[in-house]
Amino acid sequence: MKSFSSFHPTILFLYYLSVIFISMFTMNPVLLGCSLIGSILFFSMMNSPKVVLKNIGYYLLVFILIAITNPIFSHNGETILFFLNDNPVTLEAIIYGVVIATMLVAVIFWSKSYSEIMTSDKFVYLFGRTIPKLSLVLSMALRFIPMLKLQIKKVNQVQKTLGLYTTDSITDRIFSGIRVLNSVLTWSLENAINRADSMRARGYGLKRRTNFSLFKFYKRDGILLIAIILILVTAILGFVFNIFDFYYYPAISSLEITGVGILEYIFVFILMIIPFIIEVKENIQWKLLRSKI
Amino acid sequence: MEIIKVKNLDFTYPEQKTKALKDVSFSIEPGEFIVICGESGSGKTTLLKLLKRELAPHGNKTGRIFYKGTELEELDDRTAASEIGYVMQNPENQIVTDKVWHELAFGLENMGVPTPVIRRRVGEMANFFGIHQWFRKKTTELSGGQKQLLNLASIMAMQPELLILDEPTSQLDPIAASDFITTLQKLNRDLGLTIILVEHRLEEVIPIADKVMIMENGSMILYDKPEYVGQKLKEIDKNHKMLLALPSAVRIFNGLDSEGKSPLTVRDGREFLSNNYRNHINVLERPLKEDENRDENILELKNIWFRYERDLPDILTGVNFQAKKGEIISILGGNGSGKTTLLSVMAGQHRPYRGKISIRGKRIREYKGKDLYRHNIALLPQDPQTVFLKSSVWEDYKEIGKVMGYTKEEIKNNTEKIAEMLSIQNLLDKHPYDLSGGEQQKVALGKILLLKPKILLLDEPTKGIDAFSKSVLHDILINLKRQGVTIIMVTHDVEFAAIVSDSCGLFFDGEIISMGTPVDFFSDNNFYTTAANRISRHMYNNAITCEDVIEICKLNGVKENYAK
Amino acid sequence: MKKDLLVLAFIILLIAIVASGTKIQSVDEYYLTHIDEIAEDSETVTISIRCDTILDNLDKLSPQLRAEKYVPKDGVILEETEYVLRPGDTVFDILDRAVRHNRIHMEFQGADKNSYNSVYIQGINFLYEFSCGPLSGWMYSVNGKFPDYGVSKYVLKDGDVIEFNYTCDLGRDLGYEFK
Repeated sequence: MKSFSSFHPTILFLYYLSVIFISMFTMNPVLLGCSLIGSILFFSMMNSPKVVLKNIGYYLLVFILIAITNPIFSHNGETILFFLNDNPVTLEAIIYGVVIATMLVAVIFWSKSYSEIMTSDKFVYLFGRTIPKLSLVLSMALRFIPMLKLQIKKVNQVQKTLGLYTTDSITDRIFSGIRVLNSVLTWSLENAINRADSMRARGYGLKRRTNFSLFKFYKRDGILLIAIILILVTAILGFVFNIFDFYYYPAISSLEITGVGILEYIFVFILMIIPFIIEVKENIQWKLLRSKI
Repeated sequence: MEIIKVKNLDFTYPEQKTKALKDVSFSIEPGEFIVICGESGSGKTTLLKLLKRELAPHGNKTGRIFYKGTELEELDDRTAASEIGYVMQNPENQIVTDKVWHELAFGLENMGVPTPVIRRRVGEMANFFGIHQWFRKKTTELSGGQKQLLNLASIMAMQPELLILDEPTSQLDPIAASDFITTLQKLNRDLGLTIILVEHRLEEVIPIADKVMIMENGSMILYDKPEYVGQKLKEIDKNHKMLLALPSAVRIFNGLDSEGKSPLTVRDGREFLSNNYRNHINVLERPLKEDENRDENILELKNIWFRYERDLPDILTGVNFQAKKGEIISILGGNGSGKTTLLSVMAGQHRPYRGKISIRGKRIREYKGKDLYRHNIALLPQDPQTVFLKSSVWEDYKEIGKVMGYTKEEIKNNTEKIAEMLSIQNLLDKHPYDLSGGEQQKVALGKILLLKPKILLLDEPTKGIDAFSKSVLHDILINLKRQGVTIIMVTHDVEFAAIVSDSCGLFFDGEIISMGTPVDFFSDNNFYTTAANRISRHMYNNAITCEDVIEICKLNGVKENYAK
Repeated sequence: MKKDLLVLAFIILLIAIVASGTKIQSVDEYYLTHIDEIAEDSETVTISIRCDTILDNLDKLSPQLRAEKYVPKDGVILEETEYVLRPGDTVFDILDRAVRHNRIHMEFQGADKNSYNSVYIQGINFLYEFSCGPLSGWMYSVNGKFPDYGVSKYVLKDGDVIEFNYTCDLGRDLGYEFK
């Protein structure tokens, strides 16, 4: 279904890291535009049109808000449009606002798809690798928290039918909250003893513990890894040699169109739409398969 | 060579005078299926924990335990952890991790097994136990039965030779419990796994056991083949408490004073009856109920519709229900059919979107704040632990006194009265969590009775308690009924409903269908009925309980060729 | 919920704009300032704006400012010019009049927006503080002395000589020493 999410967690993490890194450390309008397009395209592959439209509508408002806020606070720029309270409102400041808004919205959309794709088990796996104990603790915590919530809900309801704390006054509610929490904590300690037993019974604490995970590194993970690293390296070279430099104040600099520059932009654009391409490819493959059947 | 050999085992917990185990000796051959039963507090769990080195309690132990000829203490760490598996009572708190696949791998990770091997074994286990469909789910999303199956599977992944289970089905509904026991039988039969099982639910496990051990006050009083257990137990004590816990077929066999190999299953029981008893009288005459209860309805539900959220399906679809003063009504039904929801709607926790509920002639909505729960209606939830907030039973009781507006004197008097009725005087100073399942149930009931309810709602009151506690609960309920309390319970426990109720109903597809007296209700049902009824229905029309069957058999008398 | 927050942000922004007054002027209107004719008896001051120090630190200057229209070759943004002193005029008033008169860009922080209770000059002719290294910014001197308070607090008298200088080293390159 979501074929991009089936890649190895390390690859996914590296991908998001590099995409967000590029988006956050440049003010180049072309790069940010690519990032915004890539993030929205992928987001719309992952969600229903209704959700996508709702989100785009909402972030369009955010976009406008940020874009018009900037010129109110920044008065730098050569092209003065008019003066507001003796302060110039400049074209440069407006465009700068638009670019900042682009960056923010792009990063927000990337984060949205990140949280959908990097589920807890992937996260646990990634960090469990470096600190094996941590992965177990995380996994236990992820099990424990929903359990605790459920128990609190259960106890609350039962106490209500006992006629305790049925009034709506706030003090009453706070007191009942504290008491319920207190009893649930005792309950969870009780639980913890049992859990410790269950862990010991299964040999926890023996030396040489291994870490098992369902994730396998396939060939396609390797290909994607190499692609990401190559593009990342070229992009970093672009930063080092100031190819992506772009200024808004006092006057907007013009984009330098050189052969290398265009190549660089194409590379970054490819990086940004990799997830989208993978999803589209998968969809087409399925359609073809189905039509053959 | 025997897989487990226990020699003169004595055990005393620290700072206790009485021994928890007294001179226990037995041996188990590889591949045997052993069932251990006994009242709670008879030392079953202590014995099991001593067999699993990692869980052995602190205390003074004498005597020796051998695993495959080696003393348990001298076993290698890895062998001890992997070859002896242990499944506990509560499915919930044995699960360690958040994902099913991780839980399956947990033990193997601890043993330091390399990833490819774990992958294979986990796959194997998931297939064997039918877990593959929910392999990637979160452990919190599973049902109780699935959780316990997962616990079993994650231990089986370590390839144990001996499996120890401490009341594994007590928190499960009957269908999940049967599935679990069937799985155990499969493990025993197909893999030759040695199993030691402690159980209350003997109806199903005794027929598949190779040997049954009965414990009492820390001693092993019986260790024999299941066919002879009933008879031997009767020889020890004619009114032994454990006799009540035996399968219906055995109880009928015993009740008729037969000798020899007793029947164990319903099938054997039917055969035993048709071979040995005549059936010229096939209806048991029952005294007609004292004149029809003409009181007005104390609780009335009219055309109740309920769903949790707008987009969710209806759970109650036009429920109609009446209860009169002093009635005990059981509502039976499958798992997840919405029985618990029905109770919570009756208790005013949820509001139906259509229909009318009246309690003592007044609509439920008109009760304000605490009024609904004072002297009116009370609900005992499925999990008694949720009732307690304080560090001792007595303090919890005091709190209810405040709700009722009692003075200190009144609280004391009322508590004493209830403690006497439930015989829990010695439990009042204890921490609620230190009590056994049956005790918790009683103490929770006590807290609820302090509200002096006219209507008592019980959600699965017999879940996880042993046969003796059940008979105590039976007496308590009858006593309350005499005091004019109306009791409505939802339960899976057909046998219990049959002996305690005035009327029974089946909850199905969002409504209550077929209300009737237990006799009518169960003798009409083919499948959803008591074991005693299933044993006797081909010969007698309305025998519901074991006592009924024994009575009607005695009336009919034995066939001529009866071999005693 | 999320939408409400957004609407709230819009409203706050609107209120902020309205509260701070909305005087909208076109470019020409803004620069149309009345300069008093210098008569024989009028009191006057002179003002100059220079950025010589940048010429020595061109390597530190932000790349987009490396052009003659921002940093003139001789370092003079406004050569010494004489203006009529109106009663109560501060350094800021003269500066404001001078840059408007010459259509030179200037951005400042209002006296109500900082802790000095004085106007703070952020940038002149697109040269901002920190545009040429972390120690750079605008400083002013009157008659060769560097006052230790803000431009809108310094009330001028007849014949004062105001110099605005860009520093790349907290004034040390202008001969100013911290006390």
